[in-house]
Amino acid sequence: MSFSKKIHQSSGLIFPAVAVIMALALSTIMDPYLAFIATSWVIFGLLGLSLDIVWGRGGFLSLGQTAFYGLGGYFGSVVAINLAPITGNSLIWALPAGAIFGAIAAGLLGYIIFYARMGALQSTILSYTFTLLLWSVTQSFKMNIGEASISGDSGLSNIPGIILGFDPQAQTLNPNTSFAVVVIISAIIYFITRWLMRSHFGRIIDCIRIDHEKTELLGYDVRKFKLANFVFSGAVAGLAGALFALWSNFLNPSIFSVQEALLIPIYVLVGGLGTLAGPFVGALVIGALSFFLGTEAGGQTTLILGIILIILVLFFKNGLLGTLNALWQKYLPDPNEATRNSGAVQIDANVLQHILKDAEKQAGPAKSLVSTSLFKQFGGIIPVNKVSRNFQPGQPYSLIGPNGAGKSSFLKTCIGMYLPEEGHIYLGDVEISQMRIFDRVKNGMGVKNQKPQVFGELTVINNLWTAAFSQTRSNAKALEISHKILTMLGLSAHANVQASALSHGQQQWLDIGVVLCLAPRVVLLDEPAAGMTNEETRELSLLIRTLARHTTVVVVEHDMEFVRTLEGHVTVLHQGEVFAEGDIQTLRADDRVLDIYLGRRNHV
Amino acid sequence: MEIDFLVTVLLSSLSSAAILLIAAMGLAVVFGLMGVINLAHSEFLMMGAYAALTITKAGVPYLLSIPIAVAITMAIGAVVEILIISRLYGRLFDTMLATWGLSMVLLQLAVLLFGTATPSINLPQFNISIGDYQLAGYPLILIGVAVIMLILIYLLMTKTTYGMQARASIQEPEMAQAIGIESSRVNTFTFALGCGLAGFAGAVLLPIIPATPSMGMAFAVKSFLAVVVAGPVALTGTALTAIGLGGGASITASLLTSVAGEVFFFIITAVLLWRYPMGISAKWRRKL
Repeated sequence: MSFSKKIHQSSGLIFPAVAVIMALALSTIMDPYLAFIATSWVIFGLLGLSLDIVWGRGGFLSLGQTAFYGLGGYFGSVVAINLAPITGNSLIWALPAGAIFGAIAAGLLGYIIFYARMGALQSTILSYTFTLLLWSVTQSFKMNIGEASISGDSGLSNIPGIILGFDPQAQTLNPNTSFAVVVIISAIIYFITRWLMRSHFGRIIDCIRIDHEKTELLGYDVRKFKLANFVFSGAVAGLAGALFALWSNFLNPSIFSVQEALLIPIYVLVGGLGTLAGPFVGALVIGALSFFLGTEAGGQTTLILGIILIILVLFFKNGLLGTLNALWQKYLPDPNEATRNSGAVQIDANVLQHILKDAEKQAGPAKSLVSTSLFKQFGGIIPVNKVSRNFQPGQPYSLIGPNGAGKSSFLKTCIGMYLPEEGHIYLGDVEISQMRIFDRVKNGMGVKNQKPQVFGELTVINNLWTAAFSQTRSNAKALEISHKILTMLGLSAHANVQASALSHGQQQWLDIGVVLCLAPRVVLLDEPAAGMTNEETRELSLLIRTLARHTTVVVVEHDMEFVRTLEGHVTVLHQGEVFAEGDIQTLRADDRVLDIYLGRRNHV
Repeated sequence: MEIDFLVTVLLSSLSSAAILLIAAMGLAVVFGLMGVINLAHSEFLMMGAYAALTITKAGVPYLLSIPIAVAITMAIGAVVEILIISRLYGRLFDTMLATWGLSMVLLQLAVLLFGTATPSINLPQFNISIGDYQLAGYPLILIGVAVIMLILIYLLMTKTTYGMQARASIQEPEMAQAIGIESSRVNTFTFALGCGLAGFAGAVLLPIIPATPSMGMAFAVKSFLAVVVAGPVALTGTALTAIGLGGGASITASLLTSVAGEVFFFIITAVLLWRYPMGISAKWRRKL
C-alpha cells in the first residue's frame, strides 16, 4: 500500500489530531478575546457533529438538533448552578446532565419517529416543529429549581463558568485555558464518534442510510439502530449545549430559535456531509468569517447565512472536506481496478455443498413454509386470494403466472412487506403472519428481490459480512463465512471492490451470496434470472437445485425455460388464486394454462 | 349549557379552522402538486401582508390591495422557482434547506425594510351578537373566504388546462412528459400559485393579524403539521386536517384554556402521525 493511501485511510485520525495539537499550542499565545470567541466555534462544531451523525451517517435530516442542544444547556446549567458550588468543578455536573437530558429528549422524539415508521418528510417536519414548539414554550416558561431560576424570555443567568479544580473556592478558568479544555473535550467526543462510526454499529448505520429495506431484510431491527444513533447524537448535542452554557454563563430561549437552528446544517454542509470532522471545519470557517469581516456585516449575519445556505445547497453539496477528498482520490490507485478484468461467474457445487452443510450445523435443519388460506386485499383488488401452499425442502418450488397474477404479492406477504388480512403463514412451527420483516429473517427466512440490492458504497466483502454478522453476531465467524461464500462465487479478486463497481450480473450473484450468508432455512427468490446471460442462468439453476436439497426454496419466475431446468414443483397463480399445479411438463400440456398465458378468451 | 354559548363556540372554532386553512392552502398546493415543502411559506404570507399594508397606505382601497398583493407574491414565487427550486427537482431535503435559507433572507429583509414595529390599517371592525355573546365579525367572514378559496382551487384543478396538466404531472410524471406536458413550466406556475395563496392569506388576515416580519411564524408550525399529517392527497387532506385539528384545538381552547387548545393540537397530530406515518391520505385513491 502506498504511503499516500495509508495516510488517506487514516486521515480522519491524523489531521484532527494535528489540528488539536495546533489548537492547544495556539491556546497559550492567543489573544484572550479571540480565545473566548474561538471557544464558541469549537462548541458549534460539536453541535454540527451531532447533526452529521444523524444526517450524514444516519440519513435523517433532523432539524431538532438545537432543541437537544438547548435542553441539554438548560438542564446542565440547572444542575451545575446547584451542585458546582459544593464541588468546585462544574464540568462533572453540567456535561453528563446535558448529555443525558439531550439523549432522553432525542430518545422520546426518535421513538415516535422511528417506531411509527414515519416517512422521511414527516420525520424532518416533526423535528422542526419540535424546535419551534420549544422556542414558543420557553418564551414564557418560568420555574425555580433550587438556586437556578428560569424566567421566560429573560433567560437563565448565574451559570458557573468552566471550573476544573475540586474545591469550592476554585476559580473559573481564564479564556485561554477554557479554550484548551473545550478543544480537548470536543476531541474526545470526536474520536469516540469516529470509533463508533467505524465499528460494527457504524457499518450497520451506513447500510441503513444506503438501503433501509435491504438492511431489514438482513435481519436487523432498523428502528432500534436508528433510535440508538439518534439518542447518541442527542447526547452529543446536549453535551455541546451544556458546554455552551458554561461558556456564555447565560441562556435564553433564542437558543431554540430558527436562526440558531439554521446554522447547524450550514456548518455540516460547509465542512462536508458525513465526514464527522467537517462540521468543525465549517464552524471554524463561518465563525472566523463573521469575526474577521467585522461588525459592519454583523447585523446582517442572518441574511448572509441564509444566502450561504442556498448557495451551498445549489452548488457545493460536498463541502470543503468532501471536495478535498475527491481531489485526493484522483491521485490514488483506483480501488475498483479489479473489476476491469473479470470473467463469468462459475459456481463450485462442492464448495456450495460444504457451505450449505455448515449453515445447517449453525442454523439447524431446513424449515417448511406453509400458508393457509392467505388473503390480502387492496381496496377492490385482491392480489392474494385464499392461497394455501406447503413448501418443503427437497425440491425447488416455482410460482408462475401472467403479469398481475399475484406472484410477487404472495411473496411480499410471506416476507412481511404486506400483512395479510386473513389466513396464516408458518415458518417451521412458528406462526409469522403478523411478524416484522427482520424477525422473520431471524427465524430463518432469506429473501432476494428482483433488482440486485447491494450496498453500493460498501466493499464486496463487507456486503457479505453485514449479512453474516446479522446471523452470527460474531466478527470472526462472519468473516469466515463471508470469505467462503466469496470464494464459492469466484469473486475473491473483487473482495475490496465497491459493490457499485460490479456489473449488473455480478451484483445479482453478490446479492444471492448475501442471502446465503444469512444461513437461511427458507429461501425466497423473486425473478432471480432476470437480466442474466444464458450461461449465468445455467449456473443459477445449478445453485438453486443444490440449495433446494438443503433448504426450502421458492422461486417466482417468468422464464419458462429456466423453470423447466429447475425440475421442481410448479404452481400457477391466476388473479390471486392457485390456478393449477404439478410439474412443468404436465402444465405445459394443460390447455387452461396456455389460455391464461396467451390471453385466449376461454378463461380470461 | 345554553344554545347561544354553543353557537358562539362553534362559530369561533370554525373561523379558527378557516384561518388555518387559508394560511396552509398555499403550502398544501405546492406539496400536493410538486412534492416540495416550502419552508419559506410563512415569509410569503408575511410579504402578502406587507404588500397589502403598503398599498392600502398609499390610498388604494383594502379590497383592491388583496389581488395586487397576490400578484406580487406570485411574481416573487415564480422567480424563486426558476432560480432555486427548479435546480433541485427530486432532492426534497435540499429543497427544504434552500427554502429554509430563503425564509431567513426574506425575514431579515423585512426587518430591514419595515422594522419590527407593527403599523396597522384602520379597518372598521364590527361585532355580531348572539344572545349575550359578542363575536368579532371579520373572522366569521373568513369562513366564507375559506370556502370560496377551496371551491376556486378545486375548479382551477379540475376545469382548466393548467389543472389537468398539473394533476397529470403528479400522477404519472413520465407519462405527462411523454405526451408533451412541459412539467417545468407547470411547476413554475404551481409554485407561484402556492406563493400567491400565501400572499393572499397574509393580505386577508391583515385586519386581524398585524403585519410584522415574523407574523408568518405563528402559522408556520400548524400549517406544516396540517399539511404533513394530510399526506400525499394534500388539498382534500389539508382541508380535513385544518378543520379537524384547527377547529378541535379551538373548541378545546374555548371550553378549557388556550394552553389546552395547543396541547390538543399537538397530541392529536402526534397520534395521527403515529397511526398514519405517511399522512392520513397515504392510502386514499383520489389524488386531489
